Amino acid sequence: MNFSRRTAAVAAIAGTASLALVLSGCASDGDNGGSSDEPITLTITTFGTMGLDGLYAQYEKDHPNITIKATNIDTGGNALTDWKTKQASGGLPDVQAVEEGWLGSVMEVSDTFTDLRDYGADDIKGNWVDWKVQQATDSDGRIIGYGTDIGPEGLCYNGKLFEAAGLPSDRDAVAELFGGSSATWDKFFEVGKQYHDASGKAFYDQSGFLWNAFVNQQDEGYYTADGELNVEGNSTLKNFWLQLADAQQAGLSANQAQWDWGKGQAFVDGTFSVFVCPGWMLGVVKGNTEAAGGDASTGWDFADVFPGGASNWGGSFLTVPTSSKHPKEAAALAEWLTAAQQQVAAFQAAGTFPSNIEAQSDPGVTGPNDLGAFFNDAPVGEILGSRAQGVTAQFKGPDDAIIQEQVFGPPRTALDAGEADGETTWNQAIELLNQLVG
Amino acid sequence: MTTTLNAPPAAKPRLTLSQRLNHADAKYSPYVYVAPFFVLFGLVGLFPLVYTFVVSLNDWDLLKGQGDWVGFDNYIIELQDPWFWNSLGNTFSIFLLSAIPQLIGATFIAAILDQNLRAQTFWRLSVLLPYVVTPAAVALIFSSIFSEDYGLVNNILGSFGIDPVLWKHDTLPGHLAIATMVNWRWTGYNALILLAAMQAVPTDIYESAALDGAGAFRRFFSITLPSIRPTFIFVLITATIGGLQIFTEPKLFDATRATPGGAYHQFETTTLYIWNMAFNQDRFGRASAIAFILLIIIVLIGLVNYYLSKGIASSETKIAKRSAARRLLRYRSRKSIPFVAENQLERRP
Repeated sequence: MNFSRRTAAVAAIAGTASLALVLSGCASDGDNGGSSDEPITLTITTFGTMGLDGLYAQYEKDHPNITIKATNIDTGGNALTDWKTKQASGGLPDVQAVEEGWLGSVMEVSDTFTDLRDYGADDIKGNWVDWKVQQATDSDGRIIGYGTDIGPEGLCYNGKLFEAAGLPSDRDAVAELFGGSSATWDKFFEVGKQYHDASGKAFYDQSGFLWNAFVNQQDEGYYTADGELNVEGNSTLKNFWLQLADAQQAGLSANQAQWDWGKGQAFVDGTFSVFVCPGWMLGVVKGNTEAAGGDASTGWDFADVFPGGASNWGGSFLTVPTSSKHPKEAAALAEWLTAAQQQVAAFQAAGTFPSNIEAQSDPGVTGPNDLGAFFNDAPVGEILGSRAQGVTAQFKGPDDAIIQEQVFGPPRTALDAGEADGETTWNQAIELLNQLVG
Repeated sequence: MTTTLNAPPAAKPRLTLSQRLNHADAKYSPYVYVAPFFVLFGLVGLFPLVYTFVVSLNDWDLLKGQGDWVGFDNYIIELQDPWFWNSLGNTFSIFLLSAIPQLIGATFIAAILDQNLRAQTFWRLSVLLPYVVTPAAVALIFSSIFSEDYGLVNNILGSFGIDPVLWKHDTLPGHLAIATMVNWRWTGYNALILLAAMQAVPTDIYESAALDGAGAFRRFFSITLPSIRPTFIFVLITATIGGLQIFTEPKLFDATRATPGGAYHQFETTTLYIWNMAFNQDRFGRASAIAFILLIIIVLIGLVNYYLSKGIASSETKIAKRSAARRLLRYRSRKSIPFVAENQLERRP
């Protein structure tokens, strides 16, 4: 009987111990640091190619008490899911990168982000282009993020294919061909038809990115500036949609799978010859071409022109969620990572064009670099700087991302596949809009 | 004896501490032993289930949290939502396209493995190999194989002069491609379970059937299949549950697209629809309602399966008993003929 009693006690102790383990598991890794000399671990979550990864070691060296635990998520879409999940359930890092496209959602819960004015944002907000700061300011005037990159759009084109079709291949002449500073979408499609007649090939990869660029360059996109839905009955958007349908009819769309392009194959085999390129997209073009076995000799180039004038696509912010235990240190890290020198370094690493005014004219940005070498030695930093002129912030509503992807995605695919005409697909989009957003 | 009599009648003999502990030990320790399972089940099984139900009764936003109490409105909205029915149709289509060939294939692979093969362990392990590969890797490989412009399948079809199939664009080809992934992964796993059941079938039944002149096919259909029926139903139920919860394969089949399950939601399964509702549209309440409807559907199908299997199993034992009795009778009677004859011979003068 003695034996049995001991086992019962052991079992009870084991049971309590394991329960205690479970209960304490969540709390054990919290370090309640207060003073700035104490060792502090800061977590940061970024995504895609933001070019920040090389900078953390430098910061740790300058601040011996700080350890940075960085997570980089492969794509913006996955990062958005990750953020939403953690926003809902807890577990946000000390520094969270958010993308321009999510701002609508972020602003809905802007009070869960630290107001960076408490840590000196007011003094340094002049460092960034003003519309970038405006984007990160919520309706109560709180500044919740420091701007990293912006996405001014230029045109990537394939010089070799242009030449073969009897079009100019020199980047200045190409800019002129599309209308220079007064380039319009009409002119763009006109050149496209010219190219198609001469070569028999498609002009652009698929119409989704053109649509995106067009919507982004309007003063008001899917929402009006005061937050009303602005799609149904929007003749500007509809006319452009019909224009895309015409272009597809004329054989200008290669109907490629967005973000796939046959694992980059279509960038090498001449399937299409123009591509809309915000700064960060240059790295994507280079990466895809190289993944399919191409290199600089494939012929891609970058021209200082964009149909319909200035357009911005993407760009991110570094925010500090209020759940951070070290908001002061986290804000300092975010500030440092978005300062001029660091933005120059990020640009050189990933082609992300700085939102920091001083960095935009830094020789590290305007001078020659690896990325430019791939694009036929184009001065990419200089061109992006010029493309950034006149860009303004557009109000992003809470369902902007859904409208972009789930409302206009399916009809756009049908349009590119030539399954239905412009009018039908536009009506499909409106039907989807009413089902999904309403 | 006297001391016992003199003791006051009300005072029961006082138990010592150790006696009481022994008593408590015998009474309560079994509960302590089984407690970890129930605590764990309560934490990771029951709590999420109940919480999901509570969420489904609210207009719950993923980011903003609990909204207004809406009762069963979310359920009503979902039952009228064309996308919900679309997802349910896709789920059942992919489920049927995968479960049927999968179970037929698994049965025949099991039957082959049940023979006396050389290097048995090698063959048995190799059918399990696809199961070891993570679904994510399977989905990525197959999504390249079924790529429309540059994929292996379309290249092969092209070399025979057949037009490329739009795997990621048309509904039925998409379902077929996803079902192929599921089959590739699960056929071997089910084959091994069926093999275990086949090995438990007593060999003397086969021997007597062989003596009766039944060929290999007759033996397979008349003995093997009826004998493994309970296991077969188990495999069917697990395949149903798995089939109705299929997520990774359709999610990664067209991974670059922001809308899950294809451009027109043409292979968006119900679990994918839940995911899309929760994490793209932020409608946590409605997502929970769909999850609960799916749970009810699975439970209903499980119940149907259960009663079917109970009915089959009981009639099967009846049939088995009857046929065994008949066979025994036949066997005895056949055996008895020569025996009698022998006797008669012996008796003959």
